Amino acid sequence: MRKTWTGGLVAALATLGLGCGQAATLATPSYTFNKPTVIAGAKLFADHCSACHAVSSLRYNRLAADLGMTKAEIKKDIMLPGGANYLQGMQPTMSQADAKKWFGLPPPNLSHIVRAEGARWVYTYLTSFYWDPKRPSGWNNHIFPNVAMPDILAPWGGTYTKNGKLLQAGRESPALYHKQVAEIVAFLRYASDPSVFERRAIGRYVLGTLILLTILAYLLKKDYWRDIHNKDEAEKAKAAKKAGSAKA
Amino acid sequence: MSKFGDWLNERFPAREMMREHMTEYYAPKNFNILYYTGSLLLLMIVLQLVSGFLLMAHYVPTSKDAFNSVQGIMYDTKWGWLIRYMHVDGVSLIFILLYLHMGRGLLYGSYRKPRELLWIIGYVIYIMMMGEAFFGYILPFGNLSYWAGQVITSIIHAVPLIGPGLTTLARGGPGVGTATLERFLALHAVLWFMIIAALIVLHILALHQVGSNNPDGIEIKKLKGPDGHPLDGIPFHPYYTVKDLFGVGVWLTIFAAIILYAPTMHGVFLERTTFFRANPMVGLPDVTPPWYLAPYYAMLRAVPNKYYGIALMFLAIVLPFFLPWLDRNPVRSSRYRPVYRIMILVMGITFFTLAWVGEQPPLPKYFLIERLGAAIYIGFYFLLPIISSIEPTKKVPERVRS
Amino acid sequence: MAKTVEDTKDRPDMGRRRFLTAATSVVGVAAIGTVAVAMVDSLEPTAAEAAAAATVVNLSPIEPGMQVTVPWQKKPVIIVNRTPAMLATLAEAESKKLLKDPNCDVPQQPPYCKNQYRARKPEWLVMVRICTHLCCIPHYRPKKASVTPWWLGGFHCPCHGSMYDLSGRVIKGSPAPHNMAVPEYTFSPNGKTVTVTKMYPLAHLC
Repeated sequence: MRKTWTGGLVAALATLGLGCGQAATLATPSYTFNKPTVIAGAKLFADHCSACHAVSSLRYNRLAADLGMTKAEIKKDIMLPGGANYLQGMQPTMSQADAKKWFGLPPPNLSHIVRAEGARWVYTYLTSFYWDPKRPSGWNNHIFPNVAMPDILAPWGGTYTKNGKLLQAGRESPALYHKQVAEIVAFLRYASDPSVFERRAIGRYVLGTLILLTILAYLLKKDYWRDIHNKDEAEKAKAAKKAGSAKA
Repeated sequence: MSKFGDWLNERFPAREMMREHMTEYYAPKNFNILYYTGSLLLLMIVLQLVSGFLLMAHYVPTSKDAFNSVQGIMYDTKWGWLIRYMHVDGVSLIFILLYLHMGRGLLYGSYRKPRELLWIIGYVIYIMMMGEAFFGYILPFGNLSYWAGQVITSIIHAVPLIGPGLTTLARGGPGVGTATLERFLALHAVLWFMIIAALIVLHILALHQVGSNNPDGIEIKKLKGPDGHPLDGIPFHPYYTVKDLFGVGVWLTIFAAIILYAPTMHGVFLERTTFFRANPMVGLPDVTPPWYLAPYYAMLRAVPNKYYGIALMFLAIVLPFFLPWLDRNPVRSSRYRPVYRIMILVMGITFFTLAWVGEQPPLPKYFLIERLGAAIYIGFYFLLPIISSIEPTKKVPERVRS
Repeated sequence: MAKTVEDTKDRPDMGRRRFLTAATSVVGVAAIGTVAVAMVDSLEPTAAEAAAAATVVNLSPIEPGMQVTVPWQKKPVIIVNRTPAMLATLAEAESKKLLKDPNCDVPQQPPYCKNQYRARKPEWLVMVRICTHLCCIPHYRPKKASVTPWWLGGFHCPCHGSMYDLSGRVIKGSPAPHNMAVPEYTFSPNGKTVTVTKMYPLAHLC
C-alpha cells in the first residue's frame, strides 16, 4: 500500500476555512488497493454519498473502462436514476441549491479529496462523528468541528457520544462497518487519480524495457572503454619498462 | 563519404561541427558520476519542451477554466497523466540535477579561471530556471498556485521606487487572475524558455572553448602527446556519448519509476494544496514554496523585517556570481584542499537543511535553524577569500587519477 | 609471437561492438517510438469532446411539415417532420427518374437508413444539412414549384444551385455528386427525443 499524505491536520482543516483543529492522530484505513475493493467502494459511494456529493471529474464511462465494469453494471449499481449521463462526470441527485438550503453550504465535489487531504484524513473524518444535540443537524465531528454534514452512515456504524459512549448500535458489526468505510476511501483514492490502474498495468513493461536498454548501453560503454583501459595499461607498461631500463 | 554528405557539407558545416564538438572534442578521461548531470539536464529540458507542448495543446489560461483544463488533462485526455506527470516530476528532477551539477562545479573548482564565464552563464540559467518553474507553478491555478503567485508578485513590490508598478505589470491587474495566467503562459512557454535554450547553447559553446574541468582540477591541455591531443583527454564521441547513453538509461528508469509508482512523491513533487481550486477568499494554512526554492524562502523568513529579508534573499541568490573571484587558492579541486572540502560539505548540508526548514510551517521554533543556515550560507562567501588564501593544500599530481 | 597476442587484445572486437550498437539502437528506437505514439495519442479528441459529441433533440415542438436545424459537432443537422403528402413526393421523384442515386447505393447513410425515406422512421428525416458539392447550407424548400415549375419539394443550395428531394437525394443536373449525409442516430424508447450520436464513417460531407 502506498503511503498517503502525512500533511498536517491543522493545515487540512484551516484550508477548508473551518476553524482550527485539535491535535488528533489519524487512523489508517485498512484495505487492499485493487479493482474489487474500488468497485465495492464505488457501489457503497453510490448508495450513501452520491445523493449529495459529485465526483465531477470522473466520468461513468471512464469508471467502467478502468474497473472493467460493463455499461449495464454501471447503470444498475453506480448511476443514480434520473438525469445522469453515462459520458459525463458523476453528479449528485440533489441540486446544489437544495443542498445549500438544507446544509448551509453545498456539499463539496469529492473528485480530488484524497489527493488534497489524504486517505487517512478522509477515513478518520468518516469514522469520527458523534452525537451533539447543540448542532442544528445533531452531529459533530472530532477532527472537523462544527461540520455541516450529518453522519449518514450512523444507521450502519452506530451512534456515539462525544466521549465515545455508544448511544445506539448500528446494523453492522464494527469490523464490517470499518471495512466498508475503507472501501469508500479506496474508491475516492482511485477517483483522485484514475490513472493508477493504468500506470500499474504498464509499469513492469516500461521499467523492463528501460532496464534492458540500460544493460545494453552498459555493455556497449564497457566495450568502447576497453580501448581506453588498454591504452592506459600499455602506457603504464611502457613507463615501467623505461623505469626498469633506467635502473639497469 | 557519401555524395549527399559532400553536397550537405559544402553548404552546412555538419562534419566540422561534429569534429569540433564530438569526435575531436577531447574531454578528461577521469569523469566521475557527477559528470552525467550535464547531458541528463539537456535531455530533461528536451523532455520538458515535448511534454510542455502537449500540455499547452489542452490548457486554457483563464482563471475560470485553468484548473478544470489541467484536471481535464488528468481525467479526459488519453495519456494525459503521462504528459502532466512527466512535466511536473521533470521539474523536481531537473533541480536535483542542477544542484548536483553546480555542486560538482564547487567541488572541483570548475568556476575558476578560465571558466568564469562558463560558471556565470550556468548560474544565469539556474536563476532563469527558477523563474520558469515559478511561472509554470502558477498555471494549473490550484489554491497553491494562486497564493504562490500572490506572495511572489508581492516580493517584487518591495523593489525600491518601481516595485508597485512592477507588481501590477506582473499580475496584469489588481490581483492574480486571467491576465496573469495569460502572460505567465506566454513567458513560460515562449520568451523565458527561448532565453534558457539560447543560454544553454552559449553554455556549451563556452565549455567547448575552454574545455571540461575534471575531478582533479588539472588542466589536461598542459600535457599533450605527440599527436597534439591532451594525454589525459579522450574524444567525446564515441567514449562519452556511449557512457552518457548508459547514464540516460539509468536516469530514465528512475524517472519512469517515479511517474509510474510515486508521481506526487508523497506531496513533495506535486503538493496536495494544488488539488484545491484557486480561491482568493480561502488562504492556505502556510504557503511554502516547492522544495527547490525553499532554501531562499527560509532565508527570507529568517529576518524579521520585510525589506531586509528580501534583501538577504537576493544577496543569497547573487553571491555565487562572484565565486570565481572570491576563491584565491591556486589549487582548484577540493580533492587537494581539505579545508575547502569541509566548507563545501558544510555548505551543502546547510543548503538542504534550509530547503527542509523552508518547507516547514513558519513557526518560531524554526527561527534558530533558519538564521543559523542563512549565516552559514552567507558566511561561506565572505570567508572564502580569506580561508582560500591561507588554507593548506596537498600536492596536485601531474596527471589525472584514473 | 607475444606481440600478436597483445595486438589482438588491443584491437576491439568489431563484431561484438556492431552487435551491441545495433541492439541498443533497436531497443532505444522502440522505446522512443512507443512514447511518441502515446504522445500523439494525447492529441486525439478527449473524453470531454466525446461526451459533448452527442446532441439530444426534443421532437415534440416540431409540427408536421416543419423542421429544426441544430448544431451538432460544429455542423448543422436538420430534423424534418415529413407529412404523408411530402413522403409521397419521394416515390414521385423516383418514378420521374429525377434522381442521381435513387436507391442510395453510395453509403451516404447508415445501413438502417438505406431506404426511400433515408430514415429510421419514415416521417422523421435526420440529416447533415451540408451540400455535398462545396459545403454550403441548402435552403429547405418544401412547397411544390417553389424553385422551378416541376419542383416537388426538397432542398436547394444557394451557392451553386444543387437540388435535392425531401430525403436529401441529389437531383440530376446538380453539381453536387452525392446525396446529403445522414448521421447515426437513435430515438428514445418513448420516441420523444432523438440523439444524434456520430458521423456515419463511410459518408462524406463535401
